[in-house]
Amino acid sequence: MGVLLQVSGLVKAYGGVRAINDLSFDVKKGKVFSVIGPNGAGKTTLFNLLTGVDTPDTGSVNLDGYELVGRPPHRVAACGVSRTFQNLQIFHNMTVIENVMVGCHLRGCSGLWSAALRLPSLLAEERRIRTWADEALAFCGMEDLAQARSSELSYGVLKKLEIARALAAKPRMLLLDEPAAGLNDTETLEMCELIKKISETGVTVLLVEHNMGLVMDVSSWVFVLNYGSCLAQGTPREIQRNPQVIAAYLGGETGIE
Amino acid sequence: MRLAGFYLFAALVALLPVVFPDNYYVTVVGVTAFFNIMLAVGLNLLMGYAGQISLGHAAFFGIGAYVSAVTTVRYGWNPWVAMAAGLVLVWLIANLIARPILRLKGHYLAMATLGFGIIIHIVLVQADAFTGGPDGLSGIPGLVLFGWHVDSDLRWYVVAGAVMLLYVWLSLNIIDSREGRALRAVHGSEVAASTLGIDISGTKVRVFVLSALMASLTGSLFAHQQAFVSPDSFSFFFSIELVTMVVLGGLASTFGAVFGAVILTFLPEFLVVFEDFQMLIYGAILMLIMIFLPRGLFVTMADRIGPMFAGYFRQGIRET
Ligand SMILES: Nc1ncnc2c1ncn2[C@@H]1O[C@H](COP(=O)(O)OP(=O)(O)OP(=O)(O)O)[C@@H](O)[C@H]1O
Ligand SMILES: [Mg+2]
Repeated sequence: MGVLLQVSGLVKAYGGVRAINDLSFDVKKGKVFSVIGPNGAGKTTLFNLLTGVDTPDTGSVNLDGYELVGRPPHRVAACGVSRTFQNLQIFHNMTVIENVMVGCHLRGCSGLWSAALRLPSLLAEERRIRTWADEALAFCGMEDLAQARSSELSYGVLKKLEIARALAAKPRMLLLDEPAAGLNDTETLEMCELIKKISETGVTVLLVEHNMGLVMDVSSWVFVLNYGSCLAQGTPREIQRNPQVIAAYLGGETGIE
Repeated sequence: MRLAGFYLFAALVALLPVVFPDNYYVTVVGVTAFFNIMLAVGLNLLMGYAGQISLGHAAFFGIGAYVSAVTTVRYGWNPWVAMAAGLVLVWLIANLIARPILRLKGHYLAMATLGFGIIIHIVLVQADAFTGGPDGLSGIPGLVLFGWHVDSDLRWYVVAGAVMLLYVWLSLNIIDSREGRALRAVHGSEVAASTLGIDISGTKVRVFVLSALMASLTGSLFAHQQAFVSPDSFSFFFSIELVTMVVLGGLASTFGAVFGAVILTFLPEFLVVFEDFQMLIYGAILMLIMIFLPRGLFVTMADRIGPMFAGYFRQGIRET
């Protein structure tokens, strides 16, 4: 399998703090690539740089030949990158299905005028968008909640809703920022299955997660970030046995076997 | 079913002058209410749905009105050409100021739009060679629609009512579409919207320009209906009144804007004290709504009553 994402020489400083300090790595197509590291290691910052939410000081992010650095977020999204957020970013002014339909934005093309006049082309597109959104919801096991208001849903369901919304864009690469944070055991198991299922559809997944059980279960590659730099990377097995990682981050008793 | 509320509303608008012919409150105040609804519905797209406050919306209303007034009175233009010219000018101005202004957020956006409204008002007062200054401009000709003179209260009721219904219909359509969801997404979370491929500033600019154009056209109609314009109608206070209409009904609800506009049009007719304490009352309404009914009067009521009907409709669907 080839490489989908090539990151090289990425640097981002906030004031004096180098949140991302000269990072370079490759992400293989169709795999689950996990980024782990202690609080404040720079994981969310990295995601922000990869998705155009924030701009790096230097460095390049190359997605299958497209340079992503310098593109605004909506253009990065148009290259096939989708993400979820550590602190939920749900559209609370919309129903569940509408949230997911926003996810289909890039797959439609109708504008203000065809919408205002409700032209037949718009109606046809609306039907397609609705079907895609239904599919994305069903994929995440939320088909019963289509008409619910997002303000009525539990935290765990909202986490899944963000994933459904991101998947509705049919991304090539999906970035999940702590999808299992705040979930109970059952929900975490479900999340684990969902991530595997996403990966099986051929979508490349970048995962940031503190739950080591989940990370080691779903990942094919683990990248350890510490103070913005790479501490180690390798297969889950290699990482679990890496003495540096154990010392710096995992500690003696993090429950990884 | 999507437009059930709209058809009901349209039927009501059509029936009123039949049931109450020659009634002052229907064919005179009613037309003013229609203009206010048109303005509030447009502002609601920008403010209620896209979440971008404007304290200068009366300016676009004023530009439309004055372009129609000045070009028809002073230069003898055909009213329809004048109306189109107003739209073109507003389109240009709105496009010019939208990008820099909409980059601002919260108080800054409020201040910038406020400033814009004040500037336009000053221009209307000061450019008296064209606008007639504070005294305004009278003798604006009426509209002629394919030989049909819009020269009575009832005819204006028909014309303004039709355009008003068109605005409501357009607004309902826009909201329930890809572009409308993008608007609401920008309001809900800019960062999420942008990472889903929505061009934030483009979306804001489009809705800003649209709501400005809607106000401009309303202004042109208003000028021809009144046959007279003066800067007073387009002051900062009127911008605040429009914001109050939208907030009173409930932000992000087209019928909320309609409701708010109707209430604030008729209230002064029935409450004489309104005249003296107008701004005080608007201020009080804004404060009370924000504190006690942040979702607006109409939306809150509709949410209480709605479920009964929703249950009824759902049953109906299941049976068929
Ligand atoms: N916008 C910002 N301005 C200033 N400093 C920032 C900003 N964003 C992040 N930082 C700093 O960069 C560092 C990395 O933060 P980041 O949020 O990327 O960590 P993280 O690995 O996601 O942590 P967590 O596991 O707690 O989510 C922290 O020291 C943080 O304070
Ligand atoms: Mg983080």
